[in-house]
Amino acid sequence: MDNSEKMIEVVDLHKRFKNLHVLRGVSTVVTRSEVVAIMGPSGSGKSTFLRCLNRLEEPSSGHIYIEGVDIMAPYIDINKVRTEIGMVFQSFNLFPHLTAIENIKLAPMNVRKISANEATERGMALLKKVELEDKANAYPEQLSGGQQQRVAIARALAMQPQIMFFDEPTSALDPEMIGEVLDVMRAMAKEGMTMMIVSHEMGFIREAADRILFLADGLIVEEGTPDQIFSDSQHQRTQEFLSRIL
Amino acid sequence: MDPTAAPTDIEKKFMRKHPGWFYWVRHPLFTVLAFAVLMVYAIFLLPNKETAPPLWFYFSISLFILLVLGYSGNILADRGKPELLKMIVALLLIAVLFWLFYLYSGAQWGRLRKFFFNWKKLEGNWWILRNGLGVTLFLAFISAIGSVLMGLMVAILRAYNSPTLNLFLKAYVDIFRSIPMIVLMVVLFFALPFAGISLGSLLSTVVALSLGYGAYTAESFRAGIESVHSGQIEAARSLGLSRWQTIRKIILPQAIPVVIPPLTGNLVAMLKDTAVASVVAAPELLKRARELYTSKTNPTPLVAAALIYLAVLIPLVRAVNMIENRLKK
Repeated sequence: MDNSEKMIEVVDLHKRFKNLHVLRGVSTVVTRSEVVAIMGPSGSGKSTFLRCLNRLEEPSSGHIYIEGVDIMAPYIDINKVRTEIGMVFQSFNLFPHLTAIENIKLAPMNVRKISANEATERGMALLKKVELEDKANAYPEQLSGGQQQRVAIARALAMQPQIMFFDEPTSALDPEMIGEVLDVMRAMAKEGMTMMIVSHEMGFIREAADRILFLADGLIVEEGTPDQIFSDSQHQRTQEFLSRIL
Repeated sequence: MDPTAAPTDIEKKFMRKHPGWFYWVRHPLFTVLAFAVLMVYAIFLLPNKETAPPLWFYFSISLFILLVLGYSGNILADRGKPELLKMIVALLLIAVLFWLFYLYSGAQWGRLRKFFFNWKKLEGNWWILRNGLGVTLFLAFISAIGSVLMGLMVAILRAYNSPTLNLFLKAYVDIFRSIPMIVLMVVLFFALPFAGISLGSLLSTVVALSLGYGAYTAESFRAGIESVHSGQIEAARSLGLSRWQTIRKIILPQAIPVVIPPLTGNLVAMLKDTAVASVVAAPELLKRARELYTSKTNPTPLVAAALIYLAVLIPLVRAVNMIENRLKK
């Protein structure tokens, strides 16, 4: 596999909410199988950045290329782009009126148009992967936070995406459930999934991430490997932030 | 704790100083005896309106009412009495007050009965009211379908959040929620023919009810749709579902249980509002009753219509209530 193949390229991305200039020109490249962690103080635009990349937020200007395709171009069907990008949210956002397996089957059946049997088969395999095959027929409210988040990951994986986005996947979890979610993410990283993760789980990032983007005030103020950032950060904002959370 | 032990200092601090002068009125024996006394009073001591001297007449009636109020108030205010007893007493109190009104108000009950409850006037004409009820239910049914479809369509279009579209949708909702139903029907029935559109009485009723209640239904649906968390929509869209798929598979299944109680309430209100159609001569229940009222020169048909409305609507209102309670669980 060509490890330098560009999966995501972001060029001068800006996002304004009325008077608020949240992203002020973010540019970066993510290659295949790379695991990129995004860190930064609250309000620095981490989540907005991630959400702009699959246009859940409409960027104000700039260019985003997914597998070399400009997804801002008018002839692009963003729904098709999104099938290539799985997304996991802080608040899980499982569909409460559907069981775990139905949550997972919904998108493959309605977007990929595969048969119910095949979707069930695939869904059960994914549930097995996140060690929840016995919870297939449970509704989200019957699951713990950690279980819900693992179902949400399985739901995203069911579309067989090339890229996975994680927006603070463990921030809403009780401490004893964080581990089970991180284990699943760690396994995905090992399998070579391209991942972008907004998270403050230092231990996990140090171990699993190839690169850290440090965002502050809508700009990437520093980037580098976890070792570089954690033990030898150059920028004052990064040092301040790390000294506060370490 | 030993109930026979002398009260401690703390207990003394919280104890009643005195049981109260009237503590005995709570005793069940008093409840029973006082009831017997009131019964005796009602049977033997209530004055005859024609023969009793006026002073005695007013005195004894006032005394009786005071005693009845005091007795029932004593029971109703007592937290120790069972609820069933309180309900019976409350109902009895109302019955007694009505009975006193019947005895002493001086109303001409015979004439009242002859005017308003002269069922002989309806003999052989019940089928007219039955047909009217049929038309009423038919109008309500068709308009229910019309208004729900209308409301659902408007709410779904609003979910697309297009400013241009919203301009028209808001105008529709605001206008039709502001216009009185009777005005709407009259306009559709009497004014539209001048514009070359003749709807006829039944169709103008259905169109008016569908448009008018469609506006209310749209607002109910919108509230339900907005109650679905925005994270649900983001999750659906991030999986690649289109807007329409998101609405159909994610939003509506979650919104509809929220919407059903206000929606059924709307539909009951709409069933009542079919009566307005009598101004555009739709042959529904009220219209037929009014025709009978004119031809028989007696208002009994109107009373009959009122009773029929009650007989249909009270079970319906109860059913709506039950649906609401079930959905809350």
